[in-house]
Amino acid sequence: MLTRSNEETKTNKRGNFLFVPSLLRVSPLSGFAIVIVILGLAFTGNALFIRAKAILAQVLLEQAWQTTIATGKATKAWNWADTHPIARIEFPRLHQSAIILAEAGGEALAFGPAHVAASPLPGANGTSVIGGHRDTHFNFIKDLKPGDAITVTTQSGIQLNYRMTGASIVDAQSSGIVTAGKTQRLALVTCYPFDGLQRGKLRYVVFAKAVPDQ
Amino acid sequence: MTSSSFTSGSPHRHPRILLRRVLIALFASCAAIPALRAEPAVLVTPDDMGTGSLLLKTTEGGKYLEAPRLKTDVSVNVSGPIARTRITQRFENPSDKWVEGVYVYPMPQNAAVDTLKMQVGDRFLEGQVKERVEARQIYEKAAAAGIKATLIEQHRPNIFTNSVANIGPHETIVVQIEYQEAVRLDGDKFELRVPLVVGPRYIPRPDVAMVNVSTESPTLLFSNPAPDAHAITPPVLHPKYGKINPVSLRVTLKSGVSLAAINSLYHQAKIEKSVENTATVTLDGNVPADRDFVLNWKLAAQAKPQVTLFRETIGGQNYYLATVVPPAGSSARQRQPREAIFVIDNSGSMSGESMKQAKAALLTALRKLKPEDRFNVIRFDDTYDVLFRDAVSADKTNVTVAERFVGNLEANGGTEIHAALKAALHDTHPTDTSRLRQVIFLTDGAVGNEDQVLAEIGKSLGRSRLFTIGIGSAPNSYLMEHIARQGRGWFTHIGSESEVETRVVELFNKLENPLMTDLKVGTNGVTLETWPNPLPDLYADEPVVMTSLTNATSGTIRLEGRIGTAPWSTTLELSAAEPGSGVSRIWARSKVSAVEALRYKGTNEGDIDGQVLKVALDHHLVSRLTSLVAVDITPSRPTGEALSSHELPTNLPQGWNFEKVFGEDPSNTEIKASIDPTLMLKLAMSDKSPSATDGLGVSLPQTDAGTDLVLFLGCLLLLSGSAILLMLRVRMVRVY
Repeated sequence: MLTRSNEETKTNKRGNFLFVPSLLRVSPLSGFAIVIVILGLAFTGNALFIRAKAILAQVLLEQAWQTTIATGKATKAWNWADTHPIARIEFPRLHQSAIILAEAGGEALAFGPAHVAASPLPGANGTSVIGGHRDTHFNFIKDLKPGDAITVTTQSGIQLNYRMTGASIVDAQSSGIVTAGKTQRLALVTCYPFDGLQRGKLRYVVFAKAVPDQ
Repeated sequence: MTSSSFTSGSPHRHPRILLRRVLIALFASCAAIPALRAEPAVLVTPDDMGTGSLLLKTTEGGKYLEAPRLKTDVSVNVSGPIARTRITQRFENPSDKWVEGVYVYPMPQNAAVDTLKMQVGDRFLEGQVKERVEARQIYEKAAAAGIKATLIEQHRPNIFTNSVANIGPHETIVVQIEYQEAVRLDGDKFELRVPLVVGPRYIPRPDVAMVNVSTESPTLLFSNPAPDAHAITPPVLHPKYGKINPVSLRVTLKSGVSLAAINSLYHQAKIEKSVENTATVTLDGNVPADRDFVLNWKLAAQAKPQVTLFRETIGGQNYYLATVVPPAGSSARQRQPREAIFVIDNSGSMSGESMKQAKAALLTALRKLKPEDRFNVIRFDDTYDVLFRDAVSADKTNVTVAERFVGNLEANGGTEIHAALKAALHDTHPTDTSRLRQVIFLTDGAVGNEDQVLAEIGKSLGRSRLFTIGIGSAPNSYLMEHIARQGRGWFTHIGSESEVETRVVELFNKLENPLMTDLKVGTNGVTLETWPNPLPDLYADEPVVMTSLTNATSGTIRLEGRIGTAPWSTTLELSAAEPGSGVSRIWARSKVSAVEALRYKGTNEGDIDGQVLKVALDHHLVSRLTSLVAVDITPSRPTGEALSSHELPTNLPQGWNFEKVFGEDPSNTEIKASIDPTLMLKLAMSDKSPSATDGLGVSLPQTDAGTDLVLFLGCLLLLSGSAILLMLRVRMVRVY
């Protein structure tokens, strides 16, 4: 009995010893294939993670928004958030809505459409510029049509009504969008072309104008 | 059975082993992906800045290039516990473009910003405090009229950012800000910290710590995913810091009480004591700004509390600042029996290290109880349990029961702090003054209903005092501090297990030696408006700072309280006050915080807003409801006569003092050489005129998360890889 178990241990050792070189015997092709599969999994996982984060963030932001509306104070969606909700935008025809974040660096866009700090806030005179990722929060922007209603609820609970007036494709660095002005306007920005794979210079901008209260 | 799995070396085992390897490699690659996608490290965001910086907008939305800082001058006036700091900084636009900049200055907590002056090229801008909405209207009107203007809004209490448009090529920007803060008292030392540090800008997260920046030429230790690896060299960090960002600094110290020792912790400094209570500290020449400047000083030990008084008279109103320095001798200390209620958070957010630290801290605390003390333990997640029906004496049996209870806690569930707090504040002997009732919270504060929690404290605090121990690497400090302030207690933070012992001892020192309680102001016929109201209790090594407004210049204020159980009082002679500039702003700032906290006691928002707005406007303070709007106040200058960017302008507006940052001019060519030219290309053009309709318009952010491409590539790789594997597998099956 004892001898046998000793034998077993020996075999074990030998087995382990043999095991290492056997791994090296993997053919170069299958090794290559495995690397490709790993990379594929990593890429897919990363992309899906970003999208999942975008969706989850909006859920958390929705809660933070309810608090913001109730208390009238800027509330963070999660403790370490470096941004906070400033408004809620709705597109009744497309049954879409999103929480707009204050711009706090480029990171905010990962969690929701963000207000471009260089432009006035919705409700103030001039053009408020709001950007959103084409592959997450603003992928429905392309379906908006002139005349569509857009409503924005501000932090103080005021509801602002807009109608889409048109859209244009512009260069990001020379957008021609002038933020100052006497009329209240919105410019919703996302990347163009909509199904483009690479990050480009072009942006699709939906313009909307405030509708006076009835 | 087990042996066979080892002895078998047959190739059909490979896939399983390989699978394990694949999984390991997969985790590794997932961790590497963020690195692959990281933005060039040298572009920064406003949040990265540890000191006053001018950031130039780049074509990458939200990312900035830091402008070279040519000179910094710091002047600090300390009177009693109040420091007024004026920082003047000179920057340069290193490019040949017209650019837009953002000036960022991280503030010490509770610092009040009231002044901002700026020179951009030949234009002068000075901030005026206006109501938030009005400030925005003024700004927009000026912008529409083509006049230069900037707007400073308080985005967070401790950071403000200010955009400056139209900075010309190689133009100089001078920014001067002034703020007020209370000097921190740490043990028996006062400590003043001036943030001066200039780098490093790129601190890789530990999980992707693969960048070696310590060598001359930074290298990526990981496979080279970033083609711009060379860009990891900090852009403005010249090997000789001193050349780039020389700092001159002067601190005038008027302590009001005898100074015992003054120390500059990290810099060579010249310290001159002129009178017993006054000293001047200057740096020896220009020093490298590679670390924060920290100055500390001790007061001569006194047996009784010392009271100092400063006065500022503005518009017929007298503002007083009184400081009560507690006795430093241990003879005054007298241990009082306590009733300690420990509340420990075992919700899901605490799992892991945090739970371990919280348990260790609580077990340490339990061991420090004396038999004459009473105690209880409450644990909470989305439910809560109270260990004993009422507080019990801290005898051996009870403490052992509690230790077992704490030892068995596991982090799980939600965080319902409110119910636990209510239970902790439920006092069975609300009028018993022989014992100190202290509630000690151990939590990471990951809760959403902050206002409800603070309101509960405001309502049912009674004789109890609340102490918070923030646990973990990122506790909700805002809530912890507010609980402690609202609960008239103390806040401490445990960041790692090694800190548990020292922090708990430190806290117990405060708990066991409350120096003074029930502090009250008796007026003796003088009408006073005093903040904070009510005055907080004094804990070991802590002074009370009290500010009052009155129209009287003579008469007395009576301060009374209890040291241990013995009554104590002192009388302040108003006519004996020393003049102290800035006292009125401290009063105003103190009132703003106190009034903002009233909302937790049920005061309606309208009243709070009205009071905050009035005091902030009257005293020129940036607050939740007021902003600084800067409009062009440039003195008329013949058009076409450009001001040379490096010369001191001869016609500075009156009262402006920028000389300190001009003068010695470091070689600009050196600075330019140290900025990566490829980064300069990324600088965004600024509109030459904000009102021009034919301008370039607002620059739009990057609105592609990049998931399409990554997903596409991922699927492609996955498919082709699997196809190859499948092929091989088919062959393998055929062979074996």
